[in-house]
Amino acid sequence: MSAEPARPHGADVEVRGITKRFGAVVAVDTVSFVIRGGEFFSLLGPSGCGKTTTLRVIGGFEHADTGEVMIAGRSMGQTPPNRRETNMVFQRLALFPHYTVFDNVAFGLRMKRLPEGDIRRRVGDALDLVQMPGLAARRISELSGGQQQRVALARALVNRPRVLLLDEPLSSLDLKLRLQMQEELKRLQRELGTTFVYVTHDQGEALAMSDRVAVMDAGHLLQVGPPMEIYEEPRTRFVANFIGDANLVDGTVESLGGAIVVIRAGRHSVSARRQGWERTGQSVTLCVRPERVQVTIATAPGPGTPPGAAQRGGELRGRIEDRAFSGYVVKYRLAIDGLRLHAAVPYVNGTPLYEIGDTVAASWEPQQAVTVANE
Amino acid sequence: MRIRGTAAAILLAPVMVVMVVLYVIPLGVYFINSFHRFLDGRILPAWTLQTYVDYFSDSFNYKVMGTSLRLSLLVTILALVIGYPLAYALHTRVRSAVAKGLLALLLFSPLLVSVVVRTYGWLILLAGTGLVNTLLRRFGLIDQPISLLFNMTGVVISLTHILLPFAIFPMYSVMSRVDVSLKEAARDLGAGWWDTFTHVTLPLTMPGIVAGALICFTLALSAFVTPRLLGGGRVQVMPLMVYNNTVDINWPTGAVSGLVLLLMSIAAVWTLNSLLRRLPSV
Repeated sequence: MSAEPARPHGADVEVRGITKRFGAVVAVDTVSFVIRGGEFFSLLGPSGCGKTTTLRVIGGFEHADTGEVMIAGRSMGQTPPNRRETNMVFQRLALFPHYTVFDNVAFGLRMKRLPEGDIRRRVGDALDLVQMPGLAARRISELSGGQQQRVALARALVNRPRVLLLDEPLSSLDLKLRLQMQEELKRLQRELGTTFVYVTHDQGEALAMSDRVAVMDAGHLLQVGPPMEIYEEPRTRFVANFIGDANLVDGTVESLGGAIVVIRAGRHSVSARRQGWERTGQSVTLCVRPERVQVTIATAPGPGTPPGAAQRGGELRGRIEDRAFSGYVVKYRLAIDGLRLHAAVPYVNGTPLYEIGDTVAASWEPQQAVTVANE
Repeated sequence: MRIRGTAAAILLAPVMVVMVVLYVIPLGVYFINSFHRFLDGRILPAWTLQTYVDYFSDSFNYKVMGTSLRLSLLVTILALVIGYPLAYALHTRVRSAVAKGLLALLLFSPLLVSVVVRTYGWLILLAGTGLVNTLLRRFGLIDQPISLLFNMTGVVISLTHILLPFAIFPMYSVMSRVDVSLKEAARDLGAGWWDTFTHVTLPLTMPGIVAGALICFTLALSAFVTPRLLGGGRVQVMPLMVYNNTVDINWPTGAVSGLVLLLMSIAAVWTLNSLLRRLPSV
């Protein structure tokens, strides 16, 4: 497949307020988003969150009860999958067991009744693209999981779809192969400029590969944004918890400074950067990532919050409850009078580790913590 | 290993006894009889191939073989052609498990009725003044009653009805094992309904079709009651010949034609099985 010119960055897919019910279950609840041309867009969420249904509505395998899907500016309505500019890589791959690799990849082109010479050339190019040359005559059952994965990709990409839909395509592979295929997918997407819509429940996968991520839960779209933005500015408790590790501290807004919110959580005062929507007395959740929590030897004995510590972003005294060493990082679990915090401290050669039972102080820069809606 | 062997022997023993007493020994008796001769109303316990020679030099026997094969082929093809869409509809169009169960029960209900009763039922329906002829005349499709009884037509109709469930069940079972996403993949790759059916659904359900064909063909080949009651003596198939020979105490000829029937069944099983082996597993 010769390199296709990258598409202009208009909207390739527009999902407008789609709702899909299965019996009494609302699988997708008024979900809207726009996917730009050439974008790697992920739908991320736990199983049953509606991400796969959303993908299947885009592909035409399900029809939304309300709302509509636009592809390249045209409303899709009841258009069946075979008349959409999309191709899908299925979760269980769905390779045709009665065909060879070549016939599987050629299927879409044969349906378009292309001349056999063109088909042979394009299938060859597609197999080269997924680095599977020389295996065209094999049967599907003779391939390894990773090779089947590549055939499934080639079978979809050979049709040069405007939008490639991927439904957890790597979930059946072991970790090492999965990481390798992630890089491969990213490379393909860059080279071809095709819009990828990628469904996954693996937040690491979504963060590593995507231009933008849409986080879903229970049929609702919670947040859409670039991976770093979602990590840094989670809007809800669920997003904060689902993306990366998070310390979540529930409390009420005690006072509002210029850029800082002070939150009272039990007997502690902690602070975070202000988002703008917080009101005094409101119940909120503070989210601070473990790697932003600094652990130091306690300056004064006894648990609790020393006076004035809130201004320094919160300094909480407690005890090391657990320690896990994992090479470049040491993970501590701290018990702090009614709170439990996780801290991930980079391990620099020679740094002495805290022992379980040590009395320590945990703190963070207010800018490094964020308030999220407490649902 | 020792214990497993003993356990297997104990578990297999009842089946082995039944098979030996009811199948292997009678087959042996058959085999022995086929080498005897029937002359002047008596069986001569001589050892000779004369009965085989007589059997295969009588053109009437070839006609009977032809009738049997034609009947079995027709019934098999009809059962598959009628059964496949039914199985397909049951698999794709019926969503609820309860409805599926009820429809399956309905499909299998002919088997709950004795074959004789079912055949007499068809006798009434297919008679010159029966329901089928009456309806055809009412709708002006025919002027004179067409003869559906005591010929091949009636036997084919009734036998197809009886064997339909045996065709549907294996096809349905294979259909429900085919991954639904394969059909979706075909649609995704630009195939319309017909292309999806011919390129994906049909080839992948072929094992079910072959299995259904195998069951229908062998059952039709050995069918006795239906050709006997609805054929009116004009549909001469091999099981009828075997029966007549046995009643006439012409056991040697009965044995030879019985063995020929067995060989035809074995040939059908072998042919279809080797076909099945060459198909991809689902």
